[in-house]
Amino acid sequence: MARARTTADAFNAIAEPHRREILTFLKGRERVVSDIADAMGMNQPAVSKHLRVLREVGLVYVHPEGKQRRYGLDARGLEPVHGWTGGFEEYWSESLERLNTYVRKRQREEER
Amino acid sequence: MTPDTALSDRELMVSRLIEGPRDVVFEAFTEVQHLSRWWGPKGFTTTTRTFEFSEGGVWEFTMHGPDGSDYPNWIQWMEIRAPEVIVLRHGEGPDDPDQFSSTFFFEERTDGSRVILRSEFKTKELRDRAAQEYGAIEGGNQTLDSLATYVTGRLE
Repeated sequence: MARARTTADAFNAIAEPHRREILTFLKGRERVVSDIADAMGMNQPAVSKHLRVLREVGLVYVHPEGKQRRYGLDARGLEPVHGWTGGFEEYWSESLERLNTYVRKRQREEER
Repeated sequence: MTPDTALSDRELMVSRLIEGPRDVVFEAFTEVQHLSRWWGPKGFTTTTRTFEFSEGGVWEFTMHGPDGSDYPNWIQWMEIRAPEVIVLRHGEGPDDPDQFSSTFFFEERTDGSRVILRSEFKTKELRDRAAQEYGAIEGGNQTLDSLATYVTGRLE
Protein backbone atom coordinates (compact mmCIF):
# COMPACT_ATOMS: atom_id res chain seq x y z
CA MET A 1 0.00 0.00 0.00
CA ALA A 2 1.29 3.44 -0.86
CA ARG A 3 2.06 5.63 2.10
CA ALA A 4 0.03 8.78 2.56
CA ARG A 5 1.93 12.02 2.03
CA THR A 6 3.11 13.50 5.31
CA THR A 7 1.38 16.74 4.39
CA ALA A 8 -1.94 15.03 3.66
CA ASP A 9 -3.38 15.90 7.08
CA ALA A 10 -2.53 16.47 10.75
CA PHE A 11 -2.58 12.74 11.49
CA ASN A 12 0.14 11.99 8.98
CA ALA A 13 2.13 15.02 10.03
CA ILE A 14 2.23 14.00 13.71
CA ALA A 15 2.96 10.36 12.96
CA GLU A 16 6.65 11.33 12.89
CA PRO A 17 8.15 11.46 16.43
CA HIS A 18 10.44 14.44 15.81
CA ARG A 19 7.53 16.51 14.60
CA ARG A 20 5.58 15.68 17.75
CA GLU A 21 8.58 16.73 19.81
CA ILE A 22 8.75 20.00 17.92
CA LEU A 23 5.04 20.67 18.55
CA THR A 24 5.47 19.97 22.24
CA PHE A 25 8.49 22.28 22.31
CA LEU A 26 6.49 25.08 20.65
CA LYS A 27 3.67 24.79 23.16
CA GLY A 28 3.10 28.17 24.78
CA ARG A 29 6.06 29.89 23.14
CA GLU A 30 7.33 30.96 19.72
CA ARG A 31 10.84 29.82 18.78
CA VAL A 32 13.38 30.37 16.03
CA VAL A 33 14.76 27.44 14.03
CA SER A 34 18.11 27.44 15.82
CA ASP A 35 16.39 27.13 19.24
CA ILE A 36 14.43 24.17 18.00
CA ALA A 37 17.48 22.55 16.43
CA ASP A 38 19.46 22.95 19.68
CA ALA A 39 16.67 21.58 21.83
CA MET A 40 16.07 18.58 19.58
CA GLY A 41 19.73 17.90 18.85
CA MET A 42 19.01 18.11 15.13
CA ASN A 43 20.54 20.14 12.33
CA GLN A 44 18.70 23.22 11.06
CA PRO A 45 17.85 21.93 7.57
CA ALA A 46 16.17 18.87 9.10
CA VAL A 47 14.19 21.08 11.48
CA SER A 48 13.19 23.38 8.61
CA LYS A 49 11.91 20.41 6.67
CA HIS A 50 9.74 19.29 9.59
CA LEU A 51 8.47 22.83 10.10
CA ARG A 52 7.46 23.02 6.46
CA VAL A 53 5.35 19.87 6.85
CA LEU A 54 3.79 21.17 10.05
CA ARG A 55 2.98 24.49 8.41
CA GLU A 56 1.36 22.84 5.42
CA VAL A 57 -1.15 21.02 7.63
CA GLY A 58 -1.76 24.14 9.73
CA LEU A 59 -0.14 22.95 12.96
CA VAL A 60 2.53 25.62 13.00
CA TYR A 61 2.48 29.30 12.00
CA VAL A 62 5.38 31.54 11.20
CA HIS A 63 5.76 35.02 12.61
CA PRO A 64 8.42 37.11 10.85
CA GLU A 65 10.12 39.48 13.24
CA GLY A 66 12.83 41.60 11.65
CA LYS A 67 15.35 39.17 10.19
CA GLN A 68 14.07 36.34 12.32
CA ARG A 69 11.25 33.94 11.63
CA ARG A 70 9.60 32.74 14.79
CA TYR A 71 7.55 29.56 14.76
CA GLY A 72 4.56 28.88 16.98
CA LEU A 73 2.04 26.12 17.61
CA ASP A 74 -1.33 26.59 15.95
CA ALA A 75 -3.44 24.27 18.03
CA ARG A 76 -6.47 24.72 15.79
CA GLY A 77 -4.70 22.37 13.40
CA LEU A 78 -5.19 19.66 15.99
CA GLU A 79 -8.97 19.90 15.87
CA PRO A 80 -9.36 16.87 13.62
CA VAL A 81 -7.22 14.87 16.02
CA HIS A 82 -9.20 16.07 19.02
CA GLY A 83 -12.37 15.25 17.18
CA TRP A 84 -11.15 11.77 16.59
CA THR A 85 -10.14 11.22 20.19
CA GLY A 86 -12.93 13.19 21.86
CA GLY A 87 -16.15 12.22 20.12
CA PHE A 88 -19.28 10.54 21.39
CA GLU A 89 -17.91 7.05 21.16
CA GLU A 90 -14.71 7.87 23.01
CA TYR A 91 -16.66 9.76 25.67
CA TRP A 92 -18.96 6.86 26.37
CA SER A 93 -16.37 4.10 26.04
CA GLU A 94 -14.40 5.84 28.75
CA SER A 95 -17.45 6.48 30.94
CA LEU A 96 -18.62 2.88 30.65
CA GLU A 97 -15.10 1.65 31.32
CA ARG A 98 -15.20 3.64 34.56
CA LEU A 99 -18.67 2.26 35.31
CA ASN A 100 -17.31 -1.25 34.91
CA THR A 101 -14.46 -0.54 37.30
CA TYR A 102 -16.89 0.97 39.80
CA VAL A 103 -19.37 -1.91 39.63
CA ARG A 104 -16.57 -4.43 40.10
CA LYS A 105 -15.22 -2.51 43.07
CA ARG A 106 -18.62 -2.38 44.74
CA GLN A 107 -19.05 -6.12 44.34
CA ARG A 108 -15.66 -6.81 45.85
CA GLU A 109 -16.61 -4.63 48.81
CA GLU A 110 -19.86 -6.53 49.28
CA GLU A 111 -18.05 -9.86 49.22
CA ARG A 112 -15.88 -8.82 52.13
CA MET B 1 -37.55 1.61 20.32
CA THR B 2 -35.47 -1.45 21.14
CA PRO B 3 -31.67 -1.78 21.08
CA ASP B 4 -32.01 -3.65 17.80
CA THR B 5 -33.98 -1.09 15.79
CA ALA B 6 -31.90 0.09 12.82
CA LEU B 7 -29.95 3.28 13.53
CA SER B 8 -31.15 6.39 11.74
CA ASP B 9 -28.71 9.05 10.52
CA ARG B 10 -29.64 11.15 13.55
CA GLU B 11 -28.54 8.53 16.06
CA LEU B 12 -25.37 7.30 17.71
CA MET B 13 -24.95 4.10 19.66
CA VAL B 14 -22.39 2.53 21.97
CA SER B 15 -22.58 -0.57 24.10
CA ARG B 16 -20.42 -2.29 26.64
CA LEU B 17 -20.49 -5.38 28.81
CA ILE B 18 -20.28 -4.47 32.48
CA GLU B 19 -19.01 -7.21 34.75
CA GLY B 20 -21.75 -7.19 37.37
CA PRO B 21 -25.41 -8.07 37.91
CA ARG B 22 -27.98 -5.85 36.28
CA ASP B 23 -29.46 -4.44 39.51
CA VAL B 24 -26.02 -3.23 40.63
CA VAL B 25 -25.34 -1.67 37.21
CA PHE B 26 -28.75 -0.02 37.14
CA GLU B 27 -28.27 1.29 40.66
CA ALA B 28 -25.09 3.07 39.52
CA PHE B 29 -27.37 5.32 37.42
CA THR B 30 -29.77 6.24 40.20
CA GLU B 31 -27.81 8.23 42.78
CA VAL B 32 -25.28 11.04 42.62
CA GLN B 33 -22.91 9.22 44.97
CA HIS B 34 -22.68 6.49 42.30
CA LEU B 35 -22.88 8.64 39.16
CA SER B 36 -20.16 11.00 40.34
CA ARG B 37 -17.79 8.04 40.55
CA TRP B 38 -17.96 7.10 36.90
CA TRP B 39 -19.89 9.59 34.70
CA GLY B 40 -17.64 11.25 32.13
CA PRO B 41 -14.39 10.39 30.39
CA LYS B 42 -11.19 9.61 32.23
CA GLY B 43 -9.94 12.53 34.30
CA PHE B 44 -13.32 14.28 34.48
CA THR B 45 -15.12 15.13 37.72
CA THR B 46 -18.63 16.43 38.35
CA THR B 47 -20.21 18.93 40.71
CA THR B 48 -23.95 18.47 41.21
CA ARG B 49 -26.34 21.34 41.93
CA THR B 50 -29.69 19.53 41.66
CA PHE B 51 -30.53 15.86 41.58
CA GLU B 52 -33.84 14.06 41.63
CA PHE B 53 -34.01 10.62 40.10
CA SER B 54 -37.65 10.36 39.00
CA GLU B 55 -39.56 10.77 35.75
CA GLY B 56 -39.56 14.52 35.13
CA GLY B 57 -36.78 14.98 37.69
CA VAL B 58 -33.61 16.85 36.83
CA TRP B 59 -29.88 16.44 37.33
CA GLU B 60 -28.00 19.72 36.98
CA PHE B 61 -24.25 19.48 37.17
CA THR B 62 -20.95 20.82 35.91
CA MET B 63 -18.32 18.59 34.41
CA HIS B 64 -14.73 19.59 35.04
CA GLY B 65 -12.25 18.56 32.38
CA PRO B 66 -8.69 17.54 33.20
CA ASP B 67 -7.46 20.81 31.66
CA GLY B 68 -9.67 22.92 33.99
CA SER B 69 -12.46 23.57 31.47
CA ASP B 70 -16.02 23.46 32.81
CA TYR B 71 -18.98 22.07 30.90
CA PRO B 72 -22.54 22.80 32.07
CA ASN B 73 -24.84 19.78 31.92
CA TRP B 74 -28.57 19.39 32.34
CA ILE B 75 -30.37 16.07 32.31
CA GLN B 76 -34.06 15.33 32.71
CA TRP B 77 -35.32 11.78 33.13
CA MET B 78 -38.22 11.11 30.80
CA GLU B 79 -38.82 7.44 31.51
CA ILE B 80 -37.49 5.08 34.17
CA ARG B 81 -38.20 1.36 34.02
CA ALA B 82 -36.00 -0.30 36.63
CA PRO B 83 -33.84 -2.21 35.95
CA GLU B 84 -34.27 -2.24 32.16
CA VAL B 85 -34.52 1.20 30.59
CA ILE B 86 -33.70 4.84 31.31
CA VAL B 87 -34.68 7.58 28.84
CA LEU B 88 -33.37 11.08 29.37
CA ARG B 89 -32.99 14.46 27.73
CA HIS B 90 -29.50 15.89 27.80
CA GLY B 91 -28.25 19.40 27.11
CA GLU B 92 -26.40 22.33 28.60
CA GLY B 93 -29.59 23.64 30.24
CA PRO B 94 -33.40 23.40 30.12
CA ASP B 95 -33.54 25.85 27.20
CA ASP B 96 -30.66 24.41 25.18
CA PRO B 97 -32.02 24.15 21.61
CA ASP B 98 -29.54 21.35 20.86
CA GLN B 99 -30.83 18.99 23.55
CA PHE B 100 -30.86 15.36 22.54
CA SER B 101 -32.51 12.24 23.81
CA SER B 102 -30.61 9.25 25.19
CA THR B 103 -31.91 5.78 25.98
CA PHE B 104 -29.95 3.37 28.14
CA PHE B 105 -30.90 -0.29 27.87
CA PHE B 106 -29.75 -2.77 30.51
CA GLU B 107 -29.67 -6.40 29.47
CA GLU B 108 -28.81 -9.42 31.60
CA ARG B 109 -26.11 -11.68 30.24
CA THR B 110 -24.49 -14.81 31.63
CA ASP B 111 -21.18 -12.98 32.07
CA GLY B 112 -22.56 -9.65 33.29
CA SER B 113 -24.87 -6.94 32.00
CA ARG B 114 -24.83 -5.22 28.66
CA VAL B 115 -25.42 -1.47 28.70
CA ILE B 116 -26.56 -0.09 25.36
CA LEU B 117 -26.81 3.63 24.82
CA ARG B 118 -28.64 5.13 21.88
CA SER B 119 -28.69 8.89 21.48
CA GLU B 120 -30.99 10.64 19.06
CA PHE B 121 -30.26 14.17 17.88
CA LYS B 122 -32.58 16.71 16.29
CA THR B 123 -30.71 16.83 13.00
CA LYS B 124 -28.07 14.85 11.18
CA GLU B 125 -25.74 17.86 11.51
CA LEU B 126 -26.03 17.81 15.30
CA ARG B 127 -25.45 14.07 15.26
CA ASP B 128 -22.31 14.47 13.15
CA ARG B 129 -21.01 17.21 15.41
CA ALA B 130 -21.55 15.06 18.50
CA ALA B 131 -19.80 12.15 16.84
CA GLN B 132 -16.74 14.31 16.51
CA GLU B 133 -16.63 16.54 19.51
CA TYR B 134 -19.22 15.61 22.14
CA GLY B 135 -17.89 15.82 25.66
CA ALA B 136 -14.19 16.17 25.84
CA ILE B 137 -13.80 19.20 23.64
CA GLU B 138 -10.71 20.46 25.33
CA GLY B 139 -9.46 23.67 23.75
CA GLY B 140 -6.80 23.04 21.16
CA ASN B 141 -3.92 23.98 23.36
CA GLN B 142 -4.05 21.28 26.04
CA THR B 143 -2.81 17.72 26.36
CA LEU B 144 -0.48 17.75 23.44
CA ASP B 145 1.80 15.45 25.35
CA SER B 146 -0.82 12.86 26.16
CA LEU B 147 -2.14 13.21 22.63
CA ALA B 148 1.28 12.40 21.26
CA THR B 149 1.57 9.41 23.55
CA TYR B 150 -1.85 8.24 22.50
CA VAL B 151 -1.13 8.59 18.81
CA THR B 152 2.27 6.93 19.15
CA GLY B 153 0.63 4.02 20.89
CA ARG B 154 -1.80 3.68 18.02
CA LEU B 155 0.84 3.79 15.35
CA GLU B 156 3.45 1.52 16.87
